[in-house]
Amino acid sequence: MTQVLSNFIQVLRAASIRVSTAESIDAASALNVVGWDHRDQLRETLSQVLAKTPEDKRAFHDCFDRFFTFETVRGAEASAPSDDTDAGGQPQMPEAGAGGSGVGGGGLAELLEKGDSAAVQQAMASAARAVQIQNIRLFTQRGMYVRRVLEQMGIEDYDRALLAAARQQPAAPAVARMRERKERLLEDVSALVDRQMLLYTANARTALREEVLQKTPLTRIEMSDFKTMQTLVRKLAKRLVSLHSRRRRVAKRGQLDIRRTIRRNTGYDGLLFNTVWKQTKVDRPKIIAVCDVSGSVAQVSRFLLLFLYSMSEVLPKVRSFAFSTQLGEVTDWFQSKPAEEALALTLKTWGMGSTDYGGSLTELERLTEADLDRRTTVIILGDARSNYGDPGAQALRRIHERVRRVIWLNPEPRSFWNIGDSAMQKLAASCDRVETCRTLLQLERIVNEIARGAG
Amino acid sequence: MTTANASAARAAILAVQKGFETSGYIASDGIATAVFLAQALSKPILVEGPPGVGKTELATATAALLGKPLIRLQCYEGLDEAKALYEWKYGKQLLYTQVLKEKLGDLMQGAEGLKQSLARLHEFDDTFFSEEFLEPRPLLKALWAKDGAVLLIDEIDKSDEEFEAFLLELLQDYQISIPELGTIKAVSTPTVFLTSNNTREIGDALKRRCLHLYIPFPDNRLEQRIIASRVPALTAGLREQLVGFVQSLRGMDIKKAPAVSETIDWARTLLLMHATELEPELVRATLNVLLKFQSDIELVDLEVPAMIHRASVG
Repeated sequence: MTQVLSNFIQVLRAASIRVSTAESIDAASALNVVGWDHRDQLRETLSQVLAKTPEDKRAFHDCFDRFFTFETVRGAEASAPSDDTDAGGQPQMPEAGAGGSGVGGGGLAELLEKGDSAAVQQAMASAARAVQIQNIRLFTQRGMYVRRVLEQMGIEDYDRALLAAARQQPAAPAVARMRERKERLLEDVSALVDRQMLLYTANARTALREEVLQKTPLTRIEMSDFKTMQTLVRKLAKRLVSLHSRRRRVAKRGQLDIRRTIRRNTGYDGLLFNTVWKQTKVDRPKIIAVCDVSGSVAQVSRFLLLFLYSMSEVLPKVRSFAFSTQLGEVTDWFQSKPAEEALALTLKTWGMGSTDYGGSLTELERLTEADLDRRTTVIILGDARSNYGDPGAQALRRIHERVRRVIWLNPEPRSFWNIGDSAMQKLAASCDRVETCRTLLQLERIVNEIARGAG
Repeated sequence: MTTANASAARAAILAVQKGFETSGYIASDGIATAVFLAQALSKPILVEGPPGVGKTELATATAALLGKPLIRLQCYEGLDEAKALYEWKYGKQLLYTQVLKEKLGDLMQGAEGLKQSLARLHEFDDTFFSEEFLEPRPLLKALWAKDGAVLLIDEIDKSDEEFEAFLLELLQDYQISIPELGTIKAVSTPTVFLTSNNTREIGDALKRRCLHLYIPFPDNRLEQRIIASRVPALTAGLREQLVGFVQSLRGMDIKKAPAVSETIDWARTLLLMHATELEPELVRATLNVLLKFQSDIELVDLEVPAMIHRASVG
């Protein structure tokens, strides 16, 4: 019984519902009270104990229906009257476990002969449990599990009996029937294994895919994965938002700052008249994002911009600029249009031609004159390859002197810097940090630090 | 064994449902199960759902059903222990020290030297921080209630996260710690409801300790039963029309969908106006009972005749 429950919880976890150990224990004790027999009652109870957000509830009901499914097996005799599919079948309920492993070879033959689809179903379900089908992970394990379930049900004895009968009277109709029954059983068991596999690995593929995507260099991500990437970026951004909005709330609180209160009130003869409160101020950083949108860097720029604008709740002041030969502001597009559209427009408008770092940085200085102050973080994303032209080190130095910090993100691996026309070394002198930014994971870490506002 | 269990539980759940019905609260299966489970496992229930589906009402109805007092704590930003749990009776404490000061002379009579007087003072019971001077706030009241109580912590999402963390001890073990006194345990376990409108995500730690009940908008049948129980004077035909209309309203793209409480208000309104069936003019005139945004009213206004038609047919 607990086995069924823990299998079900495993299914829920596979569908990315987070079930803690404490909740599993709660579920067990709840079931002690309400029992298993009433389906709706079971569903309500488990949903209240195990699924605790509206999204989880939806996923839960889906899983519940698939896990506690009414399965029917066709009657063993094709012509037998018991072949009605809707009358037969039993929910895959735990009580089935009792008969399970006891079904021997002769038992299997008898079972199939009787053509009781419910009994066959029960035997199959308990055999599947006995071979621990919940551990199935890969498509390639299917055959193995089908075999194991069959063995558990006693297929070997059945085979022996079949063989013996066939030797004696190869043409007897009884032998043909036995063969047919075996075929059917085989089909049913593979169907069962398929269903179980779907159940237990529902989310494993997406989870694996997302994990891989996070670590893949952004320049190498296929067009077909962009959709997944965008959801992934939003997911990561949402996490950061909740992390940082929480901190802001705490920072609003104050304690009496006694030292400063006394000092301020010396004028009132030491009477504490004006109170001063301690306050941890969290600077909401102003961000200026400057993205190289030429060639391969454009891919990384795309995700940086997507990331920054997905976090508008905690980063309300983001100005963004795009450049290759020339530089222009793209803030309005990102604020008024959906991200994909804004990205496409940006790439189309500013993404032509070879990069001119000197000209672009000078232009940036001119455009952002008013915003360059001690609260501003400038993020520049680019490979610093200026085609042997002026890298704009002068302009960047002037910007650096006025702002809080300059972070340079370079999508190239460190070993490629300063080779060929890369002017990273010259530019790095005016940066507070220079980081390689090749994957979504690195991007997330950097955005996280920026949002925290810590230097 | 389980069969007996299950049918006993089923009977208990149905009894809960019946009990609610007599007090005028129509509960779905899920709601009744939650209340039953909360009793059986002595666990708090976290109730979520859109505003106006009867989350708070559920606690009131449960209190009536169990015949226990309802203690309500409304959450808001900045709610703290002093308002939720306990406060010292400062005034009384001050008076106590003054009384003590007066009595001090008698007490210290015959004591030689400071040491001895101090020793004598220590022999004295420390009543300054004792339950006598404790002013109980809702949470403590619920723990102290002799015959149990129904504790409603309303709109927990409006409170701060610190407060949420502070509730954990109460929800887990039905006890609270007061630094000066130690741990106070519940006299008898209260039934606890927490409600949330989901303005912010409730922490996992809190969710883990609760049963989670999500109350959606009721379906047509359930809503009709609710209206029938709340506004019994309404004719069956009008009730059907009215619920159908509201149900289709919820399917529309409007800012705030009308909740059950608004349906009830509307039913009462129509009753007051002696309506026998839905008419476009009447609906237009009373639409502001159902919809709370001008833009919604304008949007629906045009569709009223068609919607009435559908509600009457379907």
